[in-house]
Amino acid sequence: MEVGFLGLGIMGKAMALNLLRNGFGVTVWNRTLSKCKELVEQGASVGETPAFVINKCKYTIAMLSDPSAALSVVFDKDGVLEQICSGKGYIDMSTVDADTSSKISEAITKKGGYFLEAPVSGSKKPAEDGQLVILAAGEKALYEEMIPAFNVLGKKSFFLGQVGNGAKMKLVVNMIMGSMMNALSEGLCLADRSGLKEQTLLDVLELAAIANPMFKMKGPSMIQSNYPPAFPLKHQQKDMRLALALGDENAVSMPVAAAANEAFKKARSMGLGDLDFSAVHEVVKAAKGSGEA
Amino acid sequence: MAISSSFCPTISISSPRRPSPFPNSCCTFATVVSSQLSKEATKSVEFQGRVGFLGLGIMGTPMAVNLLKAGCDITVWNRTKSKCDHLINLGAKYESSPTEVASSCNVTFAMLAEPESAIDVACGTNGAAKGMSPGKGYVDVSTVDGATAKLINKHIKDTGALFLEAPVSGSKKPAEDGQLIFLAAGDASLYETVAPLLDVMGKSRFYLGEVGNGAAMKLVVNMIMGSMMASFSEGLLLSEQVGLDPNVLVKVISQGAISAPMYSVKGPSMVKASYPTAFPLKHQQKDLRLALGLAESVSQPIPIAAAANELYKAAKFHGLGDQDFSAVIEALRGKLQRPEH
Repeated sequence: MEVGFLGLGIMGKAMALNLLRNGFGVTVWNRTLSKCKELVEQGASVGETPAFVINKCKYTIAMLSDPSAALSVVFDKDGVLEQICSGKGYIDMSTVDADTSSKISEAITKKGGYFLEAPVSGSKKPAEDGQLVILAAGEKALYEEMIPAFNVLGKKSFFLGQVGNGAKMKLVVNMIMGSMMNALSEGLCLADRSGLKEQTLLDVLELAAIANPMFKMKGPSMIQSNYPPAFPLKHQQKDMRLALALGDENAVSMPVAAAANEAFKKARSMGLGDLDFSAVHEVVKAAKGSGEA
Repeated sequence: MAISSSFCPTISISSPRRPSPFPNSCCTFATVVSSQLSKEATKSVEFQGRVGFLGLGIMGTPMAVNLLKAGCDITVWNRTKSKCDHLINLGAKYESSPTEVASSCNVTFAMLAEPESAIDVACGTNGAAKGMSPGKGYVDVSTVDGATAKLINKHIKDTGALFLEAPVSGSKKPAEDGQLIFLAAGDASLYETVAPLLDVMGKSRFYLGEVGNGAAMKLVVNMIMGSMMASFSEGLLLSEQVGLDPNVLVKVISQGAISAPMYSVKGPSMVKASYPTAFPLKHQQKDLRLALGLAESVSQPIPIAAAANELYKAAKFHGLGDQDFSAVIEALRGKLQRPEH
């Protein structure tokens, strides 16, 4: 199977490599063309523009970092819309808000193309290992046709109905994740300041009903003040912001998420945006008893 | 401090799956007492000494039952006597006050619901301390604040007896299944002595040093848990309000990095607005309140926990204190509904 792949960042690069390794023909594009080099070495072809890739491939996957990049790739000059047409499928796996996704869907289908949103749950390592959780919505027929690719990229795929549902599901999951990261950080800081060993807290948590892979993965490096970016903090904060906006539109009360978002904002203001989202721990650690967060 | 040599019971734990000489028998071979009580495979222990158990609520009852089924000589007390009937029917002895339980036993456990009760049972007019003496041990497995633990510690040690705090992580089902986690601190020799009993009631145990450390660790763990449940509730409600199926959210979460047993266990019933009580909401709120107190005492801001605490307070105010702590989701709804039970 041949696919186009737009966006070779932390996630896109790992996903495209995975497809190549599993026998897919892949034509890549990235805004900074030099990032395509490693993919070419592994057997990918290069497209100079998104339009070129769309023209060449029946199916094109996009993996961009935020709504504005996702829109730009579609609507700008030499973008997807210039070449999308009947018989072609566009699968946007970026994490965006539902409105952005709807906008892209409408433009694609107006030109006769098929659209599927398919944001993923999972960061760098699951992407490398083909263990993502794929939250698809939109054109069901396109979803069926993409199953062979999804089976390589992920461990489980969900089809959630109409466009927007995938985006929303992803934001809800990441909202919970952002709050959980803050809760872990508060726990580590409180344990430390109460004279307990942080590692012992992690050992207890691993046995408890609240044990989860994220605590196990991130806890030890947080204790070391080490935050290698698997999921950049600026993207986590973007997701919390979008989730809060979704709650706002629907008048849903979310005080814990709001508090968590404040911590991520503060972390961004401290210049920690490009570190892993667990770097919010630095904010919680730095807070003094005066009540500033 | 005298460590009495008369209190060195012979302790061994039998494997719950020792092969039976009677292949069709469903009783374990371990002890006669155990096979009379239960046909399931249970842990068993030989503990030479009488064990007291004060407080037979949601947690105390299954914990005492497990000790009894393991072959221990158990003496119980509970403020409401009728709650002792089940244990008495299984063969436990009964005394009418904590003082009498403590004085007739070598080691006495206490499992009370909040600091005030723990203090009263240990240090009150008919409290355990009055029955304590050198050679005896008191193990308080209630969840309290550090100051309470230290107060009880002092009263017990003033009698010459040994003290261990050992609050647990795990609620009703882990208690029934003998799968609790003990977070112990205090007298190290008492910890060694009661370790086999802890192993009957639990799956793991930690010794954390001086009194107060057990309480602190428990509060930190339950603070994280309270925040996670509140966040999970926000997610379920948001998914519902934006047209997603919250049951699918539960499934999606179970596949990813934030998958936790608590979510898979509680999620489906929360979606149906059903909150059968494994861990009462009022106790979760108590734990958050105590954690906030601890945090303030060490100058650690915990805004997420503080936000979560407000939700539990609101739920308590609306009469949901005796429901499972997952009922906190009701505090997020615009119009608080009465849950089905």
